[in-house]
Amino acid sequence: MNAQNIDNKPKVQKETKNKIKVEFERTPLKERLKAKFLSMFFVKKVVWFLFRLVLLVGISYIVLFPFFTKIAGSFMAPEDFVDVTVRLIPKNFTLDIYKAVWTELNYFEAFTNTLLLSASTAVIQTLICCFVAYGLAKFKFKGNKFVFLAVIFSLVIPHQTLQLSLFMNFRYFDILGIFQFLNGGGISLFGKTITNDFLAAIDIFPDTWEKFTTSGITLTNTYWPMIILSLCGLAFKNGLYIFMLRQFFRGVPDELEESAYIDGSGIIRTFITIILPLSIPMMITVFLFAFSWQWTDDFYTNLFFTTTKTVLMPKIVGIPSSLTTDYAGQNLYYSAIRNTCGIMIIAPLVVVYLFCQKYLVQGIERSGLTAD
Amino acid sequence: MTKDVAQTKVKAPKRKKSASLDRRKARGGWLFVLPFVIGFVLIYLPIVIDSIRYSFYQIKVVAGGGYQLIPVGWANYNEALFVNPDYVTTLLSGLQSLAFDIPMILIFSLFMAVLLNQKMAGRAVFRAIFFIPVILSTGIMESIEAQNVLSDYMGEASGIEDGSGESTASEIVSAMDIEKLFSGMAVGEGLVTYVTNAINNIYNIVNRSGVQMLIFLAGLQSISPAIYESVQIDGATAWETFWKITFPMISPMILVNAVYTIIDSFTTDSNVVMTFISETYQKANGNVLSSAMAWMYFLIVILIIAAIAGILSAFVFYQRRD
Repeated sequence: MNAQNIDNKPKVQKETKNKIKVEFERTPLKERLKAKFLSMFFVKKVVWFLFRLVLLVGISYIVLFPFFTKIAGSFMAPEDFVDVTVRLIPKNFTLDIYKAVWTELNYFEAFTNTLLLSASTAVIQTLICCFVAYGLAKFKFKGNKFVFLAVIFSLVIPHQTLQLSLFMNFRYFDILGIFQFLNGGGISLFGKTITNDFLAAIDIFPDTWEKFTTSGITLTNTYWPMIILSLCGLAFKNGLYIFMLRQFFRGVPDELEESAYIDGSGIIRTFITIILPLSIPMMITVFLFAFSWQWTDDFYTNLFFTTTKTVLMPKIVGIPSSLTTDYAGQNLYYSAIRNTCGIMIIAPLVVVYLFCQKYLVQGIERSGLTAD
Repeated sequence: MTKDVAQTKVKAPKRKKSASLDRRKARGGWLFVLPFVIGFVLIYLPIVIDSIRYSFYQIKVVAGGGYQLIPVGWANYNEALFVNPDYVTTLLSGLQSLAFDIPMILIFSLFMAVLLNQKMAGRAVFRAIFFIPVILSTGIMESIEAQNVLSDYMGEASGIEDGSGESTASEIVSAMDIEKLFSGMAVGEGLVTYVTNAINNIYNIVNRSGVQMLIFLAGLQSISPAIYESVQIDGATAWETFWKITFPMISPMILVNAVYTIIDSFTTDSNVVMTFISETYQKANGNVLSSAMAWMYFLIVILIIAAIAGILSAFVFYQRRD
């Protein structure tokens, strides 16, 4: 085709300042279409396109179908579950389940409590993990590798292993025996026991902290265990966040900071004014993980909140008393109620996800994550 | 440098005041990791050590608000291994499913990552859908899903329903179909059941491979397009490109993901051993027993991780950047 064009010199038909209209012989349309669509390359492309589409749509269906059934089931009345003709579209449309969950299971209270807890811990975790990861990625100091190993160690140990001692440590919270010492628990020196009623004497803590025992403070049923763990970068999956952020910071060129140092900026200032703005997509990714995993977490909430005083999202899953039934479809109906609770728990998360999801991939893509 | 300074006797008062950049940077490094180090030493290590210690004790909560520890030696371990009827069998079946799931998750997430990395219409939508499970199907949702009979029920096209939610026709494929498919080929029964299980388990596998997909995607993004261009010019097919370029370049990610998948699948709530340990924790006097069980489980899994990481790292290809 090209050779032909070169042979027959194109005739200049019309020439203006910007455009030149040239006439040359083109291959007929039929030939061109043939070359384009009847080649093996094109057939392969179409087959691959179809295969890919079917696969992706199929797996999307697998991911979305359970959510769809949850939503469909949540609008159904108990009668629908014994009706064989009713499957995915409710016949007796009702909002009873939503109403009951909202009023009887304290949904709103749970929502505000969980929002407070998740937002605060997620912000703290994101910032602390950024700090630790930056320190690990960009500074060569003795013990760097050791600290990184410790991070991995905290990720590898399953939290169920630490279940009992986590509870005990926060039930009787004490660091190095300080509280015990301050509260008259006594400390033994050279065989003598020195008692100290310091805390009792000054009485600085409000009533919410009255549960002092001789073995430390009771922090269970408060947000403190989560906040303390977040402040140290030890909360749920924080090792993973630190690992991800570390890889990201390693991808940031050193020259950026060096030029800032030469301009006289300190280490902290460089971090805050130069590095942090760069890493916003990655930070949003980590925030999204931290927020949503804390939101749905049932391990720590069940462990640290032993009473029903503080209602949190994962604890509202249950059967509202007005909906109890001995009906034939009881099993399915209760399952639908539990799933409705699930929908209501994740509904706020869906909103957050819709806003953050484009950063999720972007943040990861820019991280240049490598394993070396 | 310092010698020259001393010889020419140029006074450098500033030098004394501020340490060298390297020194300052080393100090800065400690400053950044300080929160973690403090927390690790003061809070985490005591918790870990206590957890090991508790597994050798019985705990009695004293009325005054304290607790009492009664040392019992190896009794908890003894009870877990030899007295408790279910622990060893649960452990074995848990490890068995681990061996089944991990290759499946790795293969699936790599495949999906390669697919989602290609340029196509609606890529953003598919990515958004595929990462939904990472965000939404964790924690409490996982436990709801574990006893969910609704989606099985809804998924059936028809059938007589007794209202119990259990049904026989809920599996997507049965071994029969696959066997028909494989009957011409001389593959063993094991492979047939493996494939059947994988397909019936697909929801589970999709749900659990979200983070792995993200990590693989990041790895794929970091491969330089210039390499692909040059092999294309050399006339490599897509198949060759995958095995000769993509696979070696992504192999460090495979190691990371293998380790992450092992950790993730044995700490997740839906793991049978973890469920069993949690149940034991709730029982009377089960808290110390569950500690002992969890530590034994942890040791086994650490050994598995070490072995797999050791084997895989022999095959990992690291690109020299410098």
